[in-house]
Amino acid sequence: MKKAIALGLSLLASTAFADTIRIGAITSLTGRFATFGKMQKAGFQVALDEINARGGNRLELSLEDDGSDTNKALAAAEKLVNEHVPMIIGAYASGITKPLSQYLARVKVPLIVATAVDETITKPGNAWTFRVNNQSSVYSRSLGDLFGRLNAQKPGSIRTVAILTSNDAFGKSVQADAVNQFARAGYTVVGKDTYDQGLSDFRPILNRYRAQNPDAVIVASYEQDAVAIARQIKEVGLSPKLIAGVATGFALPGFLDGAGSAADNFVVAAVWNGDVTYVGAQNLYARLKKVLGEEPSQHAAQSYAAMLAAAEAVRLGGTTPEAAQQALLKVKLSTAFGPVSFRTFGGYQNQNSVVGLITQIQGGKFVTVAPASAARGKLVFPRPK
Amino acid sequence: MNPDLQAFLQTLVQGLLTGGIYALVGIGLSLIFGVMRVINFAHGDFLALGMFLTLFLFKTLHLDPYLSLLVALPLGFALGYFIQRFVLSRLGDRLAESSMLATLGLGLIVSNMLLLGFGAQPQTINVPYANNTFTLGGIQVSVALLVAGLGTLAAIVGLNLLLYRTELGRAIRATAQNPLGAELQGVNTRTIQAIVFGLGVAFAAVAGVLLLPLLYAYPTVGETFTLKAFVVTVLGGLGNLPGAIVGGLFLGGVESMGSYYISNNYRDAYGLVAFLLVLLLRPEGLFGKTVKRV
Repeated sequence: MKKAIALGLSLLASTAFADTIRIGAITSLTGRFATFGKMQKAGFQVALDEINARGGNRLELSLEDDGSDTNKALAAAEKLVNEHVPMIIGAYASGITKPLSQYLARVKVPLIVATAVDETITKPGNAWTFRVNNQSSVYSRSLGDLFGRLNAQKPGSIRTVAILTSNDAFGKSVQADAVNQFARAGYTVVGKDTYDQGLSDFRPILNRYRAQNPDAVIVASYEQDAVAIARQIKEVGLSPKLIAGVATGFALPGFLDGAGSAADNFVVAAVWNGDVTYVGAQNLYARLKKVLGEEPSQHAAQSYAAMLAAAEAVRLGGTTPEAAQQALLKVKLSTAFGPVSFRTFGGYQNQNSVVGLITQIQGGKFVTVAPASAARGKLVFPRPK
Repeated sequence: MNPDLQAFLQTLVQGLLTGGIYALVGIGLSLIFGVMRVINFAHGDFLALGMFLTLFLFKTLHLDPYLSLLVALPLGFALGYFIQRFVLSRLGDRLAESSMLATLGLGLIVSNMLLLGFGAQPQTINVPYANNTFTLGGIQVSVALLVAGLGTLAAIVGLNLLLYRTELGRAIRATAQNPLGAELQGVNTRTIQAIVFGLGVAFAAVAGVLLLPLLYAYPTVGETFTLKAFVVTVLGGLGNLPGAIVGGLFLGGVESMGSYYISNNYRDAYGLVAFLLVLLLRPEGLFGKTVKRV
């Protein structure tokens, strides 16, 4: 009898405890990045439901809110490290994720980055930081490809560009790649400006662009700034042939609602959209939408993929930080977000190769217009005045 | 028109209109300081309250943001009146710090209540005319920005009429100049102070209403405006109402011109440099005689 109870208890212990793995995650559930945090949370949730329905190790989420603040993110990371989670997913913004990655490398716990695009997070990166999403140059490259195609169709379509970004880690990374890349490709960069987050009056810069009259205006901003910029572009009468937003604030469904008609025909460089042709993408879109109760953005899909990568690492034996670091190197998945594997190439370390998409806002929706293999619609160019 | 000249004029006009909003926020702060010598650190939070009130009325009753002025104005006044009458006046005159800390605390309460009620994410409303513009002599201006500018003008004119054409205004000015003297003349200074605080809060709430079609509302949106209002009022002289108006327009103009011609990165610095220069060169415009003028 005693033996039977002991056996029963040990069985219980093995099913209830040994097989339940807690994955740490840090994102911004409050503060200025709260909308993105909500998207991330939904992505984690959908992935966990799928993973736990599949059987095998049961995963649980230890989700910490960083309040859109770097210090709080570091404190949350310390807490998760003390709880002995095998790996941590996060954070949302580049400015928070970079220091987080440095801290976790020091204490030797793997960090899976799902949304932050600052180049320097994986270039040079470190052995403990793995990025599921793209680096910022993917956005400028896909815009560069688009401009190249437009010029091939009709020479001289785009010769001059102006680039306006926020002055944080994300914006500066985009600004640096874009300026570098477009200048090298022979475009004239007539304006390169950055602004302080939270500034809501972009009129002086936009007035200057209006006088300079560039063919294309490229903007990278978080949520509320994206709407303010779109409205003010219309307000000051700036009407270049092409206006491009770099994912982030421009890729949020809230941008469509907030900017309304001012957002018509904006081109948005992104890496995932509800209409992409990856296997399972439509299904993922529907599941994310159900959890969120609203349109999902690419940030939700990226977070979903990051959680799948974490689950795969656990399946490959990554139940401690050291083992998880080794296991993550072996992850090779094809997900509804796209393929996920962490490779070292061209100066990057543990970086997933992500295909850039170009979407355009047509009829109040994001429609994928490039690359041709993924396109669901045709680019409207030049942007009607 | 030459595109450079056009851009210059457009930037100037838009900068002055933005400055008008700064002035509207600053006047409330200046008025309260002028009468009670209290720096209202919750001023920006009352502006946020006005924004969220408008947002709430729009989302639940589909009330046009400008119509919610009719609600925000009396509600803001009542709130301010209540706060002065039942919170700030009870602190007595013992320490200037106590009222300062009390307003800081009130601001925290307001912003955290907004966080609790509406969440942290930035929210806005999209009214059809939010994107409308009109062109005058080649200068393109947003309708919402112009309405905000005109609203500021109306508020300033209204306040001036109140202060200089009514018995109540005389009592307010008397309380500002010499509370004890006013009391001896039969002015109920406690009521006057409550009315002034109510007016100040109402101004902040009105500014919030006028700003919502232009900006996003989030619980901590007020912080920026508290700072701007402070700069504006010190530029013009704390407690000096015409000074606050000039200060607001000046700040808006300097920020816009600096962003256009130098670099947008130092936008806040232009205003603060001007602020420092005023402190250095015209200190009498600050806490000196001008304080007595309301």
